[in-house]
Amino acid sequence: MAQLEKFKVSSSPHIADDASVDRIMMDVVIALMPATVAGAIFFGFYALLLVLVSIAACVLFEYLYDLLAKKMNSIWDLSAVVTGLLLGLNLPPRVPLYIPIIGAAFAIIIVKMLFGGIGKNFANPAIAARIFLTLAFMRSMTMYIAPMDYSGGFFPAFFDIYDATATATPLRGGGADLLSLFLGNIGGCIGETSALALLLGGAYLLARRVISFEIPLIIIATVAAFTLIFKGNISAVLPALLSGGLLLGSIFMATDYSTTPNTARGAIIYALIVGAFTAIIRQYSDYPEGMSFAILLGNLCVPLIDKYIYPKNFGYSKERADGNRS
Amino acid sequence: MLTFSRGVHPETNKALTADKRIEKMPPPKDLYIPLTQHIGKECVPVVAEGDYVRMGQLIARCEEDGVYIHSSVSGTVKGIEQLPTLVAPKSSHIHIENDFEDNIERLSPLGEDASRESALQRLKEAGIVGMGGAAFPTHKKLNPPRGEKIDTFILNGAECEPYITCDHRLMAERAEEIRRGARLFARILGVERIIVGIENNKPDAIEAFKGFSDIEVKVLRAKYPMGAEKQLIYACTGRKVPLGGLPKDVGCIVDNVHTVYSAYLAVTQGLPCIERLVTVSGGAVENPGNYIIRIGTTYLHISEHCGLKEQPVKVLGGGPMMGTAAFDLHVAVAKATSSVLFLTEKEINTEKASPCINCGRCARVCPMYLMPMYIDACTIAGDYKGAKKYGARNCIECGCCAYVCPAKRPLVQSIRLAKRIVRERNI
Repeated sequence: MAQLEKFKVSSSPHIADDASVDRIMMDVVIALMPATVAGAIFFGFYALLLVLVSIAACVLFEYLYDLLAKKMNSIWDLSAVVTGLLLGLNLPPRVPLYIPIIGAAFAIIIVKMLFGGIGKNFANPAIAARIFLTLAFMRSMTMYIAPMDYSGGFFPAFFDIYDATATATPLRGGGADLLSLFLGNIGGCIGETSALALLLGGAYLLARRVISFEIPLIIIATVAAFTLIFKGNISAVLPALLSGGLLLGSIFMATDYSTTPNTARGAIIYALIVGAFTAIIRQYSDYPEGMSFAILLGNLCVPLIDKYIYPKNFGYSKERADGNRS
Repeated sequence: MLTFSRGVHPETNKALTADKRIEKMPPPKDLYIPLTQHIGKECVPVVAEGDYVRMGQLIARCEEDGVYIHSSVSGTVKGIEQLPTLVAPKSSHIHIENDFEDNIERLSPLGEDASRESALQRLKEAGIVGMGGAAFPTHKKLNPPRGEKIDTFILNGAECEPYITCDHRLMAERAEEIRRGARLFARILGVERIIVGIENNKPDAIEAFKGFSDIEVKVLRAKYPMGAEKQLIYACTGRKVPLGGLPKDVGCIVDNVHTVYSAYLAVTQGLPCIERLVTVSGGAVENPGNYIIRIGTTYLHISEHCGLKEQPVKVLGGGPMMGTAAFDLHVAVAKATSSVLFLTEKEINTEKASPCINCGRCARVCPMYLMPMYIDACTIAGDYKGAKKYGARNCIECGCCAYVCPAKRPLVQSIRLAKRIVRERNI
């Protein structure tokens, strides 16, 4: 033992569990795979291409930003991949290819990096970009198609880009049976139609403890309650829950760490806000889809919630209300 | 199962030494007895270079703090030397050259029925301090100001730190001595109720105490930091120590099992605190085990005695969650050194810190209900008011937050800094 003098010295604790940022992001990517595959099957190769372009553009913009701002290369934490994937899955299946590129630039450069990068963004980048694109490219961003018809064989239809029939989302009276809603065999954004695929992904995230159940569950329950009040009809509830971006939004986007409160109590309030706004926007506005706006509004409430809601330290008592050390 | 909320479950790695029976480690030729083993002033030597000292002879003391230090071998004082400790690069040590005679000088043994005053005086003279880590003088702890209503004495046998098994072995092999020591402590405090809290991963220790009618055994869920005083008191009695308060505020006094054991030997056999049971473990150690080691034995001697099968990357005094990294092996065993760990690259965290992603995991595991991510952010921004608001002062430095952090941020380090500045600047 010649070299017994060179030891690592650092502050305690000296051990850590095996969680890491890139592993968490990888888990989200894995959890989104069923929805991505479902989107590709229902809406064809072009939809898949949109998702891939969106991911590539997000990673590229983050890389370029790091380079220009002389920051450490941050693409390997995989958060740009998650943003790109979510953005892609939030696009209607036949938007032009420049749309995900513009969306990626907005999401990564403006919403994420200019505010300080991972963990510092004030809103979910993919949600903010979806809203930006909807406002900027209203026609393309609200043009939905019916799922591919594979009766003439898989490959011709899968690679067919143009011959798709325009359709409305079921939220706007597109009318679909519950089974189609559940499987995703309906019109809508690439990744939001298949409730089954999204629930599978949600179960995976819960099992891996990447997210906790409070936020998705409370959002969904709130939307259900409001729908029941607005429609006065219990049969309207399930279609409302299975259609639109509710599941994609509540499981994958409303649970984004940086834009949700840091306490369980705060998260409950936040989820109630998101759920209520979703239902209210769906009911009263001209937009068929309330989820993205509701999440954005919820995100903006987070600093306020976090400012007032934080736990009392263990051993807190009213008599020593200032928590003073005697 | 008794527990507290939050906390973490790190890999315990106790299997390396949990079954290793207590064994004496022969003392080395040169011992370096640190003069600062407690929080407080450095002890003043009462021997000079060239003096012959007997094993157990008083060699330094700090009257103000009531701390006495004794020679752990017989031999010659070679001088006062400046050597590293875990917390300071240079600190005074008394260098004693061992004559290997173990020519011992004991204090006069007192009976188990010694009066309260004589027992407290003995604990002071024998240099008994908290051996769980804090090294607070025991005679002071057992003598709370008049008017404090103490009704429960708690023996801390939780030993929640990974790797460490010294308290476990001591409870399994020296239960009777610990029990008698605990009764002595209870008598000094004037309390009836004695509780021993033991984690459920030490069945033989639980078994050893089950038979005693005068001690309540509380089987605790194995979870870190169960051995933290406030969490232990809560798990054992359901009482919450108020913020900024002490266990006595809820009628409890807590002592580590080793402290009670050493105190028992001091009272009944007149043996000062000159050795202790230390767990030597870690992936780099050839023969890990639980050794009785003389105070002042260097880590170098320990590494030579136990053998190293590979180059350790980190050497710790104490456990991997709260212990301190040594920067070389000239550090010597002190009264509060419960373990010396020689760890390999695989066993420690070597990841670099990356930006906080606000996942909130640190807050979900904090047993004190703090917001570590905010304290960290406030500290970095120089906002110590904010750090205080989120509980920096109440941090027990258990390390759960940094342990679960996926971005591997050094949260405890930053909270420690905030705590210190809040105190120093009276913010």
